[in-house]
Amino acid sequence: MISALAIGLVLVTSLVIGIYGVRAARSTSDFLVASRRVSPTWNAMAIAGEYLSAASVLGLAGLVLKNGLGTMWYAVGFAAGYVAVVALVAGPMRRSGAFTVPDFAEYRLGAPRLRKLCGCVVLVIMLLYLVPQFKGAGVVMALVSGTPYWVGVLLAGLVVSGSIAAGGMRSATYVQAFHYVVKLAFLAIPAIYLVVHSSPRTRTEALTPEWGTHFPETTPVEFTVGTRFSLDEPVTVTAPGGEEVRLSAGEHTAAEGTEYVFPEGATIPRPEGLPDLGGERWSMPLLDVGGYPLFETWSALLAITLGCMGLPHVIMRFHTSPTARTARRVAVGVIALLGLFYLFPAVYGLLGRVLTPHLVLLQGTDTVAVVLPEQAVPGSVGTVLAALVAAGAFGAFLSTSSGLLLALAGGLSHDLFQGSVPRLRLAVVVGAGVAVLLALPAQMIDINVLVVWAFTVAASTFCPLLVLGIWWRRLTLPGAASGLVVGTVTATGAVGWSILLPTPDGWVSVLLAQPAAWTIPLAFTTMTVVSRLTRPPDWAEHAVLRLHSP
Amino acid sequence: MSPRREKLTSPQTRIALARGNRPVQHLLPIPGPVDTEAARRLFHAQRRAAARTVALLSVLLFGMSGAFAAFPVLGEIRPGGVPLSWLLLMVAVYPLLFVLALWHVRSAERIEERAEREHPKPGHGERER
Repeated sequence: MISALAIGLVLVTSLVIGIYGVRAARSTSDFLVASRRVSPTWNAMAIAGEYLSAASVLGLAGLVLKNGLGTMWYAVGFAAGYVAVVALVAGPMRRSGAFTVPDFAEYRLGAPRLRKLCGCVVLVIMLLYLVPQFKGAGVVMALVSGTPYWVGVLLAGLVVSGSIAAGGMRSATYVQAFHYVVKLAFLAIPAIYLVVHSSPRTRTEALTPEWGTHFPETTPVEFTVGTRFSLDEPVTVTAPGGEEVRLSAGEHTAAEGTEYVFPEGATIPRPEGLPDLGGERWSMPLLDVGGYPLFETWSALLAITLGCMGLPHVIMRFHTSPTARTARRVAVGVIALLGLFYLFPAVYGLLGRVLTPHLVLLQGTDTVAVVLPEQAVPGSVGTVLAALVAAGAFGAFLSTSSGLLLALAGGLSHDLFQGSVPRLRLAVVVGAGVAVLLALPAQMIDINVLVVWAFTVAASTFCPLLVLGIWWRRLTLPGAASGLVVGTVTATGAVGWSILLPTPDGWVSVLLAQPAAWTIPLAFTTMTVVSRLTRPPDWAEHAVLRLHSP
Repeated sequence: MSPRREKLTSPQTRIALARGNRPVQHLLPIPGPVDTEAARRLFHAQRRAAARTVALLSVLLFGMSGAFAAFPVLGEIRPGGVPLSWLLLMVAVYPLLFVLALWHVRSAERIEERAEREHPKPGHGERER
């Protein structure tokens, strides 16, 4: 109830700021003039507010709990992406006068058809990014109100398209900045409180994973999906009827709907395919899902760091700075704000391993940030803290998905069709509808897996297009087009295969799940080789030099 | 909804829409008369700076993860009870990223200032459309 109230409060405040607070800054019809009155600090906060999605607020904590400390590399990648942005695209992109990547492609290579191709890639990236946002919203709503997952997803779709239709969320800098503060405060305050108020033993246990992970108290576990797990030592659990069931060491399968009550102190069973909670693989700070930790870490880092610059809603934001110089400085500010935020998700993961390890069995680790406070601090304080996190997560979902949906709708109505305002509305509804439909069967897929998929596609398509377009005079239209096609097909296909279809074991499955290490070089090579074979137009050099002259 | 709302499009989009289906000839006008040689020098200087920053970023990210793999002892040293590798990954890396970005901005701006000193444009401030 309190959580629902907190979420409602965030929603109402956003609408109020959107309607009243920004009127001064929006009275002039030209967005650029308005944004010149916004200080770089506000602008940086707005960018960070839009960028921190459900993947950061919910997904990271859950991944740390489930797969171990190495998953914090995702956060490092999210922040490092802005270093690449500062170094490679922020200034020149601002000077090109392009709002979006299709715009930039048109500027640099001068071909309407390439614009359409880029528009299609925008759609793919935005949909891949929207689905996990809706998943996060569905999960939070299901936790808060007890409704089934699909109701939460559907409701989230309605709320977002509704709030865009009401006009309360339109790229309003202050709303986005407000959401950054909400996310930071609502994640940081509970985290600090939990660390300060947990017992010294809990803290030490959280930092010494080699002690093993045990049920902190007698815990009923209801398997909502069929789960295979293995036990290192036998344990006696209680079934709902009261009879005792002895599970021997080794493999077990719990059918959907099974209920077991695990006794206090029992070792946590290990679900199939996951590392031992607190084991060596878990505490080693490298990404390790398929058994090749260094390769997986590097591939994920490449995808996220380079993917950041290719995200359509990130690029769009540079135009809100009056000059190229300010655009770069704003991006540096974003790094500071992201770094501050990313200090906190790991706290939930580390404490979650000690206090709520059963979430791993339920495949519900994405909920750890909301579940943990109530578990750790019983009573009203815990409820309030959980409500804060839930509201922060909802704010994350709201701001990111509105930004994404607008970018998607803009891409649909501007780049693919001749746009008009009713069409833009229609595009918002269609985009939200498709994302909701795709999110419904995605409940069991980790938020971060989906988000990294979007980053991988961005890094294999728009990253080479922008980097070569800005820094290489000889990029040509056929080169860019063929690179885009190769990048989209390989990156989308590889991750899609690894999620949806059975994969062979060993190297192949790792190459499919983390394809950035080969799809990015492949896209770069295709663009350079094909460009070498064709001739750039005479004005190409001018178009490049112009991007760099102050 | 505010009655004064206007459709916002980037200059590139406006050009594209105005052009309709005619083949592309002109993009945003490239401001002339430009000293091409000076612009080339500026471009190359900026490219060097960008390459240097990207190289340092790779060293930081790949180096740190590589060190975790090569020296497991980093997980056994525990200042204040927290494994050193965890501290590096959870806390120390962000200030380093920030400093790297700040340093790049400084050098990029310095390159631009030097170019402007050598080739001042009449009536030119830091102004763009």
